[in-house]
Amino acid sequence: MSLLKEPDYGTPAREGEATVEVTIDGVAVTVPPGTSVMRAAKQAGLDIPKLCATDSLEAFGSCRLCVVEIDGARGTPASCTTPVAPGMVVRTQTEKLGKLRRGVMELYISDHPLDCLTCSANGDCELQDMAGVTGLREVRYGSGVDAGANHMDLLKDTSNPYFDFDASKCIACSRCVRACDEVQGTIALTISGRGFDSKVAAGAGVPFMESDCVSCGACVQACPTATLQEKSVVELGMPTRSVITTCAYCGVGCSFKAELRGDELVRMVPYKDGGANEGHSCVKGRFAFGYASHPDRVMKPMLRESIADEWREVSWEEAIGFTARRLREIQAEHGAGSIGAITSSRTTNEEVYAVQKLVRAVFGNNNVDTCARVCHSPTGYGLKQTFGTSAGTQDFKSVEKADVILLIGANPTDAHPVFASRMKRRLRQGAKLVVIDPRRIDLVRTPHIEAAHHLALQPGTNVAVLNALAHVIVTEGLVDRAFTEERCEEVAGWETFIARPEHSPEAVAEITGVAAEDMRAAARLYAGAGNGAIYYGLGVTEHSQGSTTVMAMANLAMATGNIGRDGVGVNPLRGQNNVQGSCDMGSFPHELPGYRHVGDDDVRDIYEQLWGTPILSEPGLRIPNMFDSAIDGSFRALFVQGEDIAQSDPNTQHVHAALAALDLVVVQDLFVNETAKSRTSCCRARRSWRRTARSPTPSAGSTGSAR
Amino acid sequence: MVAERLTAAGADVVRTGSRGMLWLEPLVEVETPAGRVGYGPVAPEDVDGLVAAGMLAAPERPTRRAETSDSPEGGRVVHPGPASPAIRHGESGVYLGLVEDLPWMRRQQRVTFARVGVVDPLSADDYVTHGGLTGLRAALRTSPTAVVEAVVESGLRGRGGAGFPTGIKWRTVLGAEADVKFVCCNADEGDSGTFADRMLIEGDPFTLIEGMTIAAHAVGATEGYVYLRSEYPDAVETLTAAIGVARERGWLGERILDSDLTFDLHVRVGAGAYICGEETSMLESLEGKRGQVRAKPPIPALEGLFGRPTVVNNVLSLASVPAILADGAASYAALGVGRSRGTSVFQLGGNVARGGIVETAFGITLGELVEDLGGGTASGRPARAVQVGGPLGAYLPVEKFDLSMDYEAFTEAGAMLGHGGIVVFDDTVDMAAMARFAFSFCAEESCGKCTPCRVGAVRGVETIDRIRTGQDREKNLVLLEDLCELMTDGSLCAMGGLTPMPVRSAVQHFGEDFTR
Amino acid sequence: MSIDVSDLAALRVERVRAIAGRLRELRGPLLPILHAVQHELGHVDPADVPVIADVLNIAVAEVHGVVTFYRDFRREPGGRATVRICRAEACQAVGAEALAAHATRRLGVGFGETTSDRAISLDEVFCLGNCALGPAVQVDGTLHGRVSPARLDALLGEVATA
Repeated sequence: MSLLKEPDYGTPAREGEATVEVTIDGVAVTVPPGTSVMRAAKQAGLDIPKLCATDSLEAFGSCRLCVVEIDGARGTPASCTTPVAPGMVVRTQTEKLGKLRRGVMELYISDHPLDCLTCSANGDCELQDMAGVTGLREVRYGSGVDAGANHMDLLKDTSNPYFDFDASKCIACSRCVRACDEVQGTIALTISGRGFDSKVAAGAGVPFMESDCVSCGACVQACPTATLQEKSVVELGMPTRSVITTCAYCGVGCSFKAELRGDELVRMVPYKDGGANEGHSCVKGRFAFGYASHPDRVMKPMLRESIADEWREVSWEEAIGFTARRLREIQAEHGAGSIGAITSSRTTNEEVYAVQKLVRAVFGNNNVDTCARVCHSPTGYGLKQTFGTSAGTQDFKSVEKADVILLIGANPTDAHPVFASRMKRRLRQGAKLVVIDPRRIDLVRTPHIEAAHHLALQPGTNVAVLNALAHVIVTEGLVDRAFTEERCEEVAGWETFIARPEHSPEAVAEITGVAAEDMRAAARLYAGAGNGAIYYGLGVTEHSQGSTTVMAMANLAMATGNIGRDGVGVNPLRGQNNVQGSCDMGSFPHELPGYRHVGDDDVRDIYEQLWGTPILSEPGLRIPNMFDSAIDGSFRALFVQGEDIAQSDPNTQHVHAALAALDLVVVQDLFVNETAKSRTSCCRARRSWRRTARSPTPSAGSTGSAR
Repeated sequence: MVAERLTAAGADVVRTGSRGMLWLEPLVEVETPAGRVGYGPVAPEDVDGLVAAGMLAAPERPTRRAETSDSPEGGRVVHPGPASPAIRHGESGVYLGLVEDLPWMRRQQRVTFARVGVVDPLSADDYVTHGGLTGLRAALRTSPTAVVEAVVESGLRGRGGAGFPTGIKWRTVLGAEADVKFVCCNADEGDSGTFADRMLIEGDPFTLIEGMTIAAHAVGATEGYVYLRSEYPDAVETLTAAIGVARERGWLGERILDSDLTFDLHVRVGAGAYICGEETSMLESLEGKRGQVRAKPPIPALEGLFGRPTVVNNVLSLASVPAILADGAASYAALGVGRSRGTSVFQLGGNVARGGIVETAFGITLGELVEDLGGGTASGRPARAVQVGGPLGAYLPVEKFDLSMDYEAFTEAGAMLGHGGIVVFDDTVDMAAMARFAFSFCAEESCGKCTPCRVGAVRGVETIDRIRTGQDREKNLVLLEDLCELMTDGSLCAMGGLTPMPVRSAVQHFGEDFTR
Repeated sequence: MSIDVSDLAALRVERVRAIAGRLRELRGPLLPILHAVQHELGHVDPADVPVIADVLNIAVAEVHGVVTFYRDFRREPGGRATVRICRAEACQAVGAEALAAHATRRLGVGFGETTSDRAISLDEVFCLGNCALGPAVQVDGTLHGRVSPARLDALLGEVATA
């Protein structure tokens, strides 16, 4: 195992077919139109020196290291900003280019501290790499303070709790500024001054923590030197190996490289191959990894006979033996259905699958449930009713093609920050936004983004507003006829229903608190979009009419033909990263993996063959049923995987009473959580960086269509 | 004050722009049947004597109009009152005779500057009387393509310095599809030694407006911006007022001159950044951003202001267009030499006896300009060096005075015409100090984006300091040349790319100044 | 009667907001707004930056980057008069450096500084477009040519007593 270095192509990929053939240093390579010479060269296996270019950012052309010679072109253009042209012949290594590049590096190093050996970025510094690559041997201007004017006395900004900004090491490449702008979309950074006085500045020249910075760390990742450096790297040193993992914090499900030094986690670096985040992260994913080495973390199984006892560290043999024995005893005394399990959507498909199999094949009942069923079951139900499958229709990348975005009951900048960055990028490119939310969320107005309409509805009137939008679309002739006729069923009945006067914006204006003309304008905007996309969150699903709202959204999408391609769809923003996967894996009391009902003999037959044991045909207890049954005494033992029900489930008193009534609670978690504290007999450590599991299903994964 | 005294003497005084004979200012021109008779420089205290001597009543009566030009910004037209006594020619020390017959004027071919110093800058009627709008009317009678081709045919090349064929640029913008296109005039005349843009805008702003309107018609633009430097407050005021007049007259706005053309024009004022004279930096600044240079491609003609197809031309390029359309491409192309067609507006400045504006066909020599027209140095000492083309232009020794003033000859000589500014230095100049200044100006004005310019300019100053103080002189001269090569070939834009031109030319032609 | 400093600050915010609001519909409104703020309020105060950013719905950092890029924008109040001396080549050819040295000696301040009595801010400028009549000096926007040290003294005397 070693540190995983992802290739950096220098400039972003261009979409389209590879049709442009160029010859670089004698190597022929074919790339899509618009691709930079630099990227084409990398594809041909040729590394052109660079400092200001990185493939997460658009080309900038400032460092001038990547100059090349092109037949028929004047001078030495920068390969990062020069797009390929058919038949182009490029040379990347000539004596002249070598001299130019050394000259550039000579200038850089003349204003850079010569403390490589003690620098925290030693070995992971592009400036250092480039000095080597260009063969710089001598700095004739003098170096360090001998050279003349320099920036070496600039003070370090240590205000951010997660990273330092050491301006004395800055090479003014603007990668951090551009990352904050292009990748994160916060624009907390700028270059202040000009010429030799150009400096990276946060906000209006304040310490990072006083600026708009949200500590996403995109700047740190973009920095080619030690200027922006994780404090953890400064303290612990450079990591030596990487493990690919998935962030468990929110519903986005970002991929990360956990970078370790030995067994110690040094930093989390977002993984470019992760479809959800494509190399970006938020503050939590990148920096809130203190749990990994927190002293409170439970590293060995612990056990206690009763809540009055002290925890006792035990061997895995004892813990497993004790748990198995007690579960069997309880079943013997109170019946097979007296025990059950709760799975977590923050765990992997494999882990969820294992727990539901444990319940069905070993416990011999169907008492397995997950928070995902609670928080987004309206999504599952509503989408299944309308589209035939309970999955969200798009992947996150799809938002890059959306022209009008309907954002309903969600606050992505707070709750799904990495997806919010992707959405903001699209909005800044000119996509229009309609926010339907009682709250004035950030996206209603934030630098360079202003919602076209904010329908600040009264809580509880989601369906009324969405039906009013549909009413406008139907009565103003905005329905996509070709689409509905070819692909939808029962359209006429729905149109007749929705066209009724009581659904008009004017009729519902009073109960929704939204002006009728705003609803009309929003409906027209969505219906008239090339690509209209709906994104929604718990503000939809955690209402008593959640399923109906989901169906109303699906109807809007179908009526306007906004389904079945990139840039459109009905997309839940889930609470946890593997909501989709844990549902797919069958951690439902009524469904086996793949949403197949336990009452179906053919379905059960498959799993009985597979697992070699009979499966109960009766659906099991849902989480609230488990709590009720615990209190009435019929449910006696609970296995909780990666959930803290004592803290996160509604009606806390009731949950605590249920936990207190149980004979046995088994908690599988990293910490002694509130559930474990309240009533636990066994607590086990889970997860280590040595055996990080993978392969969750992205929460908003897979594509679908109306039929 | 001259004007006040003349008015008091019964004259009808009209202020014009400058004739470009700055050493003669304040210049008073009195209109007579034979032509305009000049007096200059006229101090306020001279006026009474001149009037008494019959200034306002030339012998060829009846006199109608006279003009003055008040240093340093312009002139006045004087309408004399009746019954003035006869003037005795030659008695006044400032009597110049007919202005058009002055050698300075006879050597010139005023096309772009034909009206400058002649008309009241803000008088729309004056403008039309002197041939204004003829070009625009001609353009509106023909198709955009035909206008573009006429400009191509005229051979007009960018007068801002780069010398790119104006018509070719317009053709690209005409061919681009977009919801909106722009015409932007680069009036960020920051080069030391250049002042033609200012003279034109202050003296004949309608010509620029007409040129931009023709450009709008030619490429399909609806909005125009003039980016004018804040160092020129009078030009800002004049142009803003002229645009107001043009709108009132229907020369701007909807259905211009009853055609289908809609075009409006706005002035935007710079904020003290030389780099904003670079076209992409100017576009950034117009968008309200830091004036940082953009990498090209994309070219502004395709993705310019706010990402839309944009014509970016210098004041003189645009102001040359009305004459091309009015008199035909062929007559413009008939002037000049080689691939440098038409006239160029040269500006004589620095240590020169007769400084000012000289518009003439390409091909006049540097020596003719400096010595014949400029009259040598103001100090009376021998001229030693001439910097042509602004702070990024080469320093040329008197041995190069036979150099033909055209794009190609200058390129061949390792120099450039730039915006036509010519700055004369006498033999007291320290050329090592001037080379140092070239770097220090670059350091002061660099946008800071690319490394060769941002860091190189500062290191250049330091290296020259070491050379001048004799530290490792030979090694540092080698380093200086390496730095010049790096900045020339490696910089993002012409600011860093051309800063070595004055430095290298100073080393090449005045090497002795670096070793004493 | 006393004037509450926070009232003054609030008043300024309102004026800046009004200026920015008046010009926000222009294409590329930031430079015109900054010019207007400086023209009407003397300088662009750091406290103005977030106000302008809010009106234009752009980031504070962006406004800061622009303000600090351009030499024209003062971030603190200047003197009652501003004297700018051209130090570009054409004026250097006729003695601008001696004039510049004279000015700093005479006023006792460097370029970019203001005299202690707040009477005069001294600035350098690279070209005023008066290259045939150098050395050139601009006093509160008015251009003066052929300025000798003695003539500069006279000009300084005029503004100091104005």
